[in-house]
Formats: sequence, structure tokens, C-alpha cells
Amino acid sequence: MLKSLALMVRRLAAGDAAPRSASALHRFMGRQSPAPPLIPPTASESPALGALRAAALALPGLMAQSPEALAAPGDIVDLQYGSYKQTPWQLLGGLKSQYNPLQVDNIEANGVLTFSDRWKFGFNYAQDTWSGATPVSSAPYAFGGNNPSAAGASPLVRGNGTILYDKKLTAFRLDPNTANYVPDNRLVQTVASASPEIRNQGNFRLGYEWDEAAVNLGGGVSQEPDYNSAFGSLNGRMDFNQKLTSVNLGLNYANSDINALINPLYSPYVDQSYYAEKGQIDTIPNASGAPGRYLTGNRQDWTSHLSVAQVINKDLLLESGIGFTRSTGYLGNPYKAVDMVFVDTQGTPVPPVDGSTLPPLYAPQVQAVVERRPEERNQGMWDMRFVQFVEPMDASVHGGYRFFIDDWGITAHTFDIDWVQPVESWTVTPRFRYYSQNGANFYQPYFLFQGKAPQGPDGRFNLAGVPLDAYSSDYRLSAYGALSGGITVARPIGKAMAFEAGFEYYAHAGDLRLGGAGQGSWSNFDYYQFNAAVKVDLSAISTAKLSEPEDHAGHHHHSGDHRQQHLGMDAPSGILFNHMLADEGDTMVGVRYAYALQQGGMRHGTGSATDQQIVAQGCGPSLKCTFTPKEMDMGMVMVDLMYAPTDWLTLMLMPQFMSMDMHLRRLDGSPDPGGGGHAAHGANPYHATGGVGDIFMGSLFKLYEMEGHKLHFTLGFTAPTGSVNQRVDGNTEFEHYGMQLGTGTWNIWPSLTYNGYAGDFNWGGQVSTNAPLQNHNDSGFAFGTLFQTTAWGGVQIQDWLSGSVRALYTFQDSISGNYPEPFVPSGPMDTPQSYGGQYLDIGIGLNASVPSGDFEGNHFGIEWLQPAYNDYNGYQLERTGTLWASWALSF
Amino acid sequence: MILKVSGFFLRLSLLVLVSGCTSVQPWERGTLAKPHMALQPFPSQTALREHIYGSRESASGSTASAGGGGCGCY
Repeated sequence: MLKSLALMVRRLAAGDAAPRSASALHRFMGRQSPAPPLIPPTASESPALGALRAAALALPGLMAQSPEALAAPGDIVDLQYGSYKQTPWQLLGGLKSQYNPLQVDNIEANGVLTFSDRWKFGFNYAQDTWSGATPVSSAPYAFGGNNPSAAGASPLVRGNGTILYDKKLTAFRLDPNTANYVPDNRLVQTVASASPEIRNQGNFRLGYEWDEAAVNLGGGVSQEPDYNSAFGSLNGRMDFNQKLTSVNLGLNYANSDINALINPLYSPYVDQSYYAEKGQIDTIPNASGAPGRYLTGNRQDWTSHLSVAQVINKDLLLESGIGFTRSTGYLGNPYKAVDMVFVDTQGTPVPPVDGSTLPPLYAPQVQAVVERRPEERNQGMWDMRFVQFVEPMDASVHGGYRFFIDDWGITAHTFDIDWVQPVESWTVTPRFRYYSQNGANFYQPYFLFQGKAPQGPDGRFNLAGVPLDAYSSDYRLSAYGALSGGITVARPIGKAMAFEAGFEYYAHAGDLRLGGAGQGSWSNFDYYQFNAAVKVDLSAISTAKLSEPEDHAGHHHHSGDHRQQHLGMDAPSGILFNHMLADEGDTMVGVRYAYALQQGGMRHGTGSATDQQIVAQGCGPSLKCTFTPKEMDMGMVMVDLMYAPTDWLTLMLMPQFMSMDMHLRRLDGSPDPGGGGHAAHGANPYHATGGVGDIFMGSLFKLYEMEGHKLHFTLGFTAPTGSVNQRVDGNTEFEHYGMQLGTGTWNIWPSLTYNGYAGDFNWGGQVSTNAPLQNHNDSGFAFGTLFQTTAWGGVQIQDWLSGSVRALYTFQDSISGNYPEPFVPSGPMDTPQSYGGQYLDIGIGLNASVPSGDFEGNHFGIEWLQPAYNDYNGYQLERTGTLWASWALSF
Repeated sequence: MILKVSGFFLRLSLLVLVSGCTSVQPWERGTLAKPHMALQPFPSQTALREHIYGSRESASGSTASAGGGGCGCY
């Protein structure tokens, strides 16, 4: 995330630099964008003249103040989704990892706003969810780390005891066909699953701009279950030489705490003594399973960067910079181990197989160890970029080179080139990038020693006796190259929006290293990455409002609260489909966030449930439950996109993004869970899922309207774009039903909404139902039909602020169908009967709308829904409440 | 001393930059103002990709001019 912040800084800094600010404006507007109104465009104006005018206006001296303030050029809000998928690791011998390849979903919101002309405020919120296969170490194929044992589990870092070495330290593998050993030095990654995790990051930036300088102060936090980071930055820019030259200086500091559960699948077999002696291992006892062992640490990163951007001529811009980063503390990856293999060639060889012609072979001693890196890293870099205009094509070429060096022995080179080609209203950008690095001097695929393993007085392995002070088998520290290519397309939509999408394919290979001779092909992998974004240019909205004809503008220039009321936007934040758009051609962009928390005791019907009841009845008549949830959070981001083709119809598209996590506990008096599944989670059974949910598409129809009363009907559907194939630990078993990202079925979602208002008061009601149109999804089940009815009342507190109270009744059926065999429920969260119920919630909320000025028309809402009455189907975790927050802007 | 020397080099490099280029007048900056002439035409996309490079490569994590969080431990 370092970069996204950096780019935000650049975006902020770019806000008023002559060559760039107009770009910021145009970037979201396309070349036909309306200019600031003081020099109105003329119909006959050429594109070149338009660009010239925009450039001239971008000079602060020419940007006179409008009597009615405008959002400044470069003020934007953007929402972005990204998806990353990796190809499977090559495990040799026809083996396939039991874990799905690594997958990451990312959603992000960015905004840059200008206040009182010279203050800029920027914010960024990002959420990543990942799961899937990741290497824990690497080893010879003969080691058998990925080969399933008789019990079905992979021996991972232990190996399966079938590797032998000759005197020259060539590895020999037991060939199952001949029952004899064959020389085999091939290496493979030892693959385990990444704990599925969600990362949230929020950061802000505050900037002040002078005519030829700017200062930005920023900070933020990033949170993961195992990694918490706080960071701050100070960044300055000075322009010289009539803005042909600008100098940027940035200073940054990050402080991160690591608290990572060592994978219980291999924790007992990995030597942790180095960290234990330093007090970095926390052991959390678990009465009913293996204790959880956490590796803890702290790291600090100081970064500085100095760059100069120079306009060389009217078609060429150059930028060059140097940077230095110093990192100290625990710089390792807590999920990576190394295999140390000791071959005592002075000892007794293993007895040869009858008739074997092989040389004497020795059985090695194998010990896995948590990786260790130096506690200090100094990194330097130099980079240079150019942007050259290609006049015959009206295109531009962007190229860059970066050199990196550190005191871990890594040097790296990065080259990238883009061709940005406008094609009518589209911009099409093919892109290539090449990266190459040397390996760190403490990297080896595995560590092979000739001689006996060092032993302590107790006869056990003694890590302190190994003559190394850093060792890692993380493939990211190896020597390799990477080639990637992709394409980005962008185009403006309507008055003030733009759409952007990108795709990239990336190939990591040892052979691609500059000059060749990198890591072998065993660590090669590819990934592909897709992203899509919607951007709203706030300055264009202000501009469009001012340029509207007087009668139309008059309609829009009711005081802000009136406008909101007329629309029905004063309805509480948690009500979907609460209003239509007022006029033909209107557009609305919004984001709604819901956070639902379930925490505390287990409930059954309207009463509480004991562990004994749940063990006996929670998993059906023939099974006993082992686990029960103790906390579940669900976060849901809904992007509202609305457009009114006529005044009686509004079209709506609402993509949804989900993130969920659940903490489980063993039930008192439950049977032993056996070896797999949750037992593997050690003392802290924790699950997380996240990614794209179901997408809603619908139409809102105006049924009735008179002064003070409005009635509309919404007919919508959700498409099963959310996954219902989320698995625990890669793909071994299905996640709990409620942790799936979508419904897996096409659903119909109609609602009827009434809005009323008089003076300072507003009120309304809505009935809605969300019903599956299919009996079951691909995973064998369907969520129950949902029926909701709600009524609210609101009062204007200030001209920009209103409060609301509402009641919400919910009825939802239990799940029909179930996961196919061999799925075995481990608790009530795996039981279809323990979903749904009847609930009554009371909500209180606030709505604020900006009535005038730079950000007129921005609407914010927040609402808390407190459960007042609950009647749960089956056995469920108590509902704590739901928080709604929303932002919307119509134009 | 170091400050003096670095100050000298800073002034020298600025001098070279300034004198080495023909002046581009404000009314000649139309091309430079085009959206696709921005140093980063697609900043949020670039940021997302850089975040991914940073979790897959050794060198990408240290160019940022701002600190950020995230382990990338997968």
C-alpha cells in the first residue's frame, strides 16, 4: 500500500503544477470537458485551443475566484475494484496442491477535496482479502514435502523420510516403481495455505498550496489480524523557473507490529528457538487442542525521496529521483520456514537395495526452522521517467527505469513503457514492464550442510550451533526476472464520471533474470490481475451546475435540504432504493456501507442456548456439534449507481463487496474434533472471507406524486456474482453458509416505497422482499426468502442536518438444501435450520447534506439499528446491531 | 560541510536544468496539459499494481514517497 499513498501524494501535489493540473481535470473528463466557466468555450474552438486555455487557466494567477465557489480541478472521488489470481505452483510428479491458488480481492475508495482554495484534503480507504496456496518453504522433490502421507495430510516441512544423499551431496529419491533410489536434484515449493485474511487501511492527507509550493501532511493505519501498521508522512513541493521545474521531497515513517499464528499444521516441527530466546514467541494455551504459538515483532521503516520534474520542451517532460529507506526490527516473514539438511558422509551409509549399483547413500538429518533475516536493511534507489508526446498519433509514450540496491545483496532493475492512445472518447493504453533482481545473500532454496547437525547437551537439535545469522527460502529473495504486459482502457461517462479498467498478465521466472542464470523453473509462477474503477469529477459537477440554463438551475437551487427532501434522500441511511432521481438526465453516485456484528451468547428461539443443548441438537439429530461461533462481523460495501433516462424511471446498478470474519470456540462437552478442519486452527479458530458479492440491477418507477407525497416501486434482481464456493483452508471443506459471499441464486428483489414531507418533517415506509428464483445454487442450497417492512420519521435539526427514527421488521426463512456430501457440519453455523428468524430493530440516524458551496449536493448518512426483539431459527449467535453509513452525490 | 557540498550540488543541478532547456511559455503548454501527458495518467490503477508488485518483488517496496501499511505476507 506504500505506493497508493505515494500516488495520492503525487495526485495531490499535481493539483496545481502547470503541466499537470489541467491533466487532472481532463483525466476524468475527456478532452471535450467543459472548462471552468470564466472563459466559456466556444463551439468552434479547436481541441488544441481548448487544451491551451485549460493550461493557461491552470496557472494560479489566471484562476480568478468565481463568486460562487467551485470544487477545484482535480477534486475527485473514485471507487476501484481489483482482483488478483495466481497460477498453481508446479509440484512435480503429477501432484496437485490441495489448496486453491492464491487469490486477492481489493476494493478501494479515494477522494481529493479542496477547501477554501488552498487547503486540500485527501482520503483513501482500502480493503484486501486473500486466501489460497502459498509456499512455506522449498526443498528437493525427493523430500516429499507435498506428498500426501498415509493419513492424507502433507508432511510439509518434515518431509516423508525418503530422501538420501551420496558423498557429493546429490539428492536421491525413492522411486516407487523400482523401490530403489534414483538421483534427483529437482526442487519444489512446499505449499501450504495462506490464512484467509482481510486487511483494512485508512489514511488521510492534508495539504496546503501556495502559488509555487505545496506541503502535505499525511498519516494512516493498516490493520490485519497478524499485522498492524501506523504511518505518517511529510511531503513538500517547490516550483521554479515559471513552473517548468518542480522539486519534491518526501519523508515517511511507518511502525508495524506483527503477531502471527505459526501455522499449527507444521508449528510442532519448526524450530522457533531463535525467536523464543528473544522473547518473540507467545504461547496461547488451548484447553481442547494444540496451543497456539504466535511470532511477535516490531519493525520501523524510514523512507525519504527526492525528485525533480522538468519540462524539457513543449512535448517532453522528465522526472528523476533518488530515494533511501532504512528498515529496522523484525523484517522476516513469519509464515516462512527453511529446511536445514545435514548429511553426515563420515557416518554409516544406509544398506543398499539388493543388486543396487548405486554409490553409498546417507540418510540426512532434516530440521525445519522459522526463517531469519537481518534486523536492519538499507535500501537505495534511483529512478527516471519521461513523458513524450507523439504528435502524428496524438498519443504519448511514458517510460521509466528504476535501479534498486540494498545491503542484503539485492540489486534490481525495473523498466516500464506505456503507450497512451486516445481513440475518440476512449483512451487505450498498452503497457509493458520488465523487472529483474539478484538474490539476497542469505537466500537458498534449502540449506544443505555436510556433517552432523549441531546438538545441544540434551541431544536435540541446537540451532545456535548452525553457523548462519540469516537464512530464508522465500522465493521473493531469490534471483529471477518478471515480464508483464497489460492494457488499460478509460472513457468518460456522462457529465462528470469516468470509467477505467485494466488487465495485466505477469510471468515470474528464474530465466527471465537480466543475463539469465536465475532460480530454476521450479519457482516460476504467473498471475493475472484485473481492475475496474468509477471516478467522479467533483469540479465538473460544480461546473455543470453553474452552466445550466436559469430555469433548470432554479430547480436545482432550492436550498440543499429542500432538494434532499424532495428526492427522499432524508430517509435513514440503511434503507435501500429509498428515492428516485428528480429529473431526466440526472445521475447519482453513492456508496453505502453496512457493518453487522454478532457477538456474545448463543440463542435459540427467543431464549438463550447452553453448550450442552447445542452439542446435542445444533447439528441435526444424528450428529454432535463441536464448535460454535463466538463473534462474527460482516462488512458490506454497496456502490449505488443511478441514472434517470426520464423523470418517471430511474435505473440502478449496485455492485456489492463483502468481507466477513468469524471466531469460533470449542463447545463445552463436545466430542473430539479429529485431525482436520478447525482443529488445525489451534487455539484461535478464525475464518475470513471477502470479495465480490451479488450485483443488483433494477428499475425504480414513479407511481404517484403530489405535494408532500411520493410513491415509487422498485423492481430489481440480483445476479449470482458472489462466490458460494468459499472453502476453509484452501479447498478442504465448505465455509459456513453465512460466510459465503453471495447467494449463488438469481433473486428477485421488489419493493414499494413511500416518502412524505411537510415543513421540517419527513416520514415514510417501505415493504420489500428478496426471494431466490432457484431451488438451490451450485453448492446445493438457497438462502431463505427475506421479507422486510420499515417505517420512519425524521425532523430537520439544522438546514443541513436531519435526524431519523425508524422501526424495521424482518422475516427470513431458513436455508433450503445443504452442502453436498462429504460435508459434515461442525457447528450450528453449518446447519441450514440455524439461519433466518424474525427480528424487530429500532434505528436512529442522522443525515447531512451540503446545502451550498464547493460540495453542494453531497449527502452523508449514518444509522445504527439496535435489535429490540429476536426470534432465531435454530441456534444462532446473538445479534449485536448494524451500522449503516452512506455517501451520495447526484448531478 | 556535507550541507555545504550538497547545497552546492543542488544549486548546480538546478542551474544545469534551468539553463539546459529552452523556455516553454505558458501558452505553449497545451500539449503538456493533455490528460495523457500526466506523469501518472491512471494513478489509482498504478497504485494497485504497485501494491501487488510490492508483495511479489524485493525491490518494489521502497520507492514510495509515502509510508503505508500492509504485510503482503501471503
